[in-house]
Amino acid sequence: MQTTPSTPDTDLQADNLRRAAIDKSVKVPVLFLFTNGAFWLMLSTILGVLAAIKLVEPEFLGNCQYISYGRLQPAHINALVYGWGVQAALGVMLWIMARRSGQELKSGKSLLLVAAIFWNITITFGILAVVMGKSTSIEWLEMPKFVWPILLGCFLCYAWPIVRMFGRAFRPEGFMVSTWYILGACFWFPWIFITANVALHCLPGLGALGAGIDAWYIHGVIMLFFVPVGVGAAYYFIPKITGQPIASAQLASAGFWTLAILGGWTGMQKYMGGPLPAWMTSIGAATGVLLLIPVGLVGLNHHLTTLGKHSAAASSPTLRFVFFGALFYPVSGVVLALNSAFWTGASLQFTQSWYAFQMVSVYGFFSMCVFGAIYYIVPRLSGCEWLSVRLIRNHFWFSVYGVGTIVIMSLVAGWQQGADLNDPEHWDQTFMNHVVNSRAYVVSRAVAWALISFSNLMFLIHLLLMVLGLGRRSSAPTLLHHDHDETALPNGAHA
Amino acid sequence: MSASAHPDSTDLDRLHSAVKREKADLAPESQPTPMWAMFLFFLFAIIAGSQLGFYTGGWSFDVSNPFTVINGGGDPRPGGSGAGAALDPFALAMKKGASGYAVCGGCHQGNGGGLPGQFPPLAGSEWVSGGTERLIRITQHGLVGAISVKGQGYNTPGGMQPFGAAMSSQDLANVLTYVRNSWGNEATMITKEMVQKVRDEEKRATQWTEADLKPFADKNVPGEIPAGPGATAAPAAAAAPAAK
Repeated sequence: MQTTPSTPDTDLQADNLRRAAIDKSVKVPVLFLFTNGAFWLMLSTILGVLAAIKLVEPEFLGNCQYISYGRLQPAHINALVYGWGVQAALGVMLWIMARRSGQELKSGKSLLLVAAIFWNITITFGILAVVMGKSTSIEWLEMPKFVWPILLGCFLCYAWPIVRMFGRAFRPEGFMVSTWYILGACFWFPWIFITANVALHCLPGLGALGAGIDAWYIHGVIMLFFVPVGVGAAYYFIPKITGQPIASAQLASAGFWTLAILGGWTGMQKYMGGPLPAWMTSIGAATGVLLLIPVGLVGLNHHLTTLGKHSAAASSPTLRFVFFGALFYPVSGVVLALNSAFWTGASLQFTQSWYAFQMVSVYGFFSMCVFGAIYYIVPRLSGCEWLSVRLIRNHFWFSVYGVGTIVIMSLVAGWQQGADLNDPEHWDQTFMNHVVNSRAYVVSRAVAWALISFSNLMFLIHLLLMVLGLGRRSSAPTLLHHDHDETALPNGAHA
Repeated sequence: MSASAHPDSTDLDRLHSAVKREKADLAPESQPTPMWAMFLFFLFAIIAGSQLGFYTGGWSFDVSNPFTVINGGGDPRPGGSGAGAALDPFALAMKKGASGYAVCGGCHQGNGGGLPGQFPPLAGSEWVSGGTERLIRITQHGLVGAISVKGQGYNTPGGMQPFGAAMSSQDLANVLTYVRNSWGNEATMITKEMVQKVRDEEKRATQWTEADLKPFADKNVPGEIPAGPGATAAPAAAAAPAAK
């Protein structure tokens, strides 16, 4: 029995207890968000398959208006962005901020739960309305007008305790590296969401500018919400699992501030050459390319941190997902730059390559980082270990192949569509020929969404078993791979 | 904190092992940034900066064409700001017709010279540069029997098949315009509307003979000739809408 409280051993035990208490305080809202998010993701991927099939074969499953491409595609994207994306992001933000700040969630747990329930009910009605034909036809904001104040309120219910935790935290050196991204996401999402919704729903007669604002909104949500949450999670989990400190505090700082400054300027280049003042699209294009700098800074930092530690990704599920996500961050930056710059954008404008950007950033980068976070967080909240290595492996590989296929195929399709449209040889061709020519790519998209759909079925089942407390009762983590080379970390070190 | 500073063994037993095996949060290091990364970021900034400049349209709210400063707001697509040249219907028809001629070239030869005794020539042929109505009818419905071209007699077994019927009006019009303006031929272009007009009027299922075609020898299908030899629309009038 220890009698002197200041021995290192006792300190460690007290620290363990404190972390366990923090986990317990956020357990209910975080698990609720993850579980519901996984359900929406499942739905979104199935809708993704259906929408892609309907684009090639409009008669598929009959000529019913409720399942036409024009309604399935927005339902698919909205389920992905609001059902899965924002919801899972809030869970990860709450947990990381609580852990990193060392603050328990003291009060308002029931408010958080109510907010999460309202979020899900609202999206259910919103997406049903889209399918019933009540869409607003504004990309990424297709759900009817009434949803946005409710969603905003629910988001703020979560943002407030996260910001408060940040404010009350003791801040050791390096505290900011992941938390400032999460803090930023708390402020940026409401800003973008309010601006876009007020402008598009409340201001009359915007004309062409409305389309520009919508494009700005989509890029804003990606660059200033999904990206910060993904990067914040990667910055938290990579050193936590590899045991390797982040390589450079200066790069981390520069990467954050350049993103903060540049993130909100891009988007309108979608309408380059269109009926918007030329300087608006010009600034969007310049920023779209300039964003390669924050993207490159973060990529470089992760590269320097993990140099020589890549073998750990073979055994730790969390690290494997986060590594892959972090790898796709620079890829999404390059796709954005290609879409944005005038030379390449002239061909890629209004083609499938814009879908490539949305999917590489929302699924390839953000979702993969969040999957990694979930594989780390859930065992700590549910008190049991992940059941099956095979389910995790399936989830990983089918997701990787699926999203890789979508991104590559959409980029190639975009280039072909754009080059054909710009080619004087084709100017007397009917537009339908271009649509028919891109069919093969849309078929591959359907196949890719089917792979992702399968991978998320694995994930959903696994997560439900964990949440129900049916996981493995063991003190050893579920690892993908038994260590057999000396460069890998000791067995118990990562999970 | 709800955790006590002096944990007893019961607390520790209850603690989930996942929490116990965690690593401590680490402070970041200060490794130097590689030089090549700096150069790369400069390169990104230069490429990004080049999206500004000319393309901003002078920061005016009234300019939406990003090419205003460079070429005065013309059409920037491939083909240049003189998009009128690329869009000239006659030039376009000649270009398209050249590839469409592959169907004809098998018999009439690539140089339009034909083969003596079998396939009549197109170059210098009065059948080609004469009335447009007769030419359209031949390609649309085919031709059979003996025929005299440039004073020579020809008689192909089976005659010429109705190749034009398988083409769209636009494609057929392009090929005919090409034939009428190649190898030294020069005649008015044939438009899609002219071909369509003949198609609507004549629905015969059999090939023509030389005698059948006599009435159409010098008849031209009425219709606007947008460009090329004998254009009915003045070039200035045609260019006017583009310049607006």
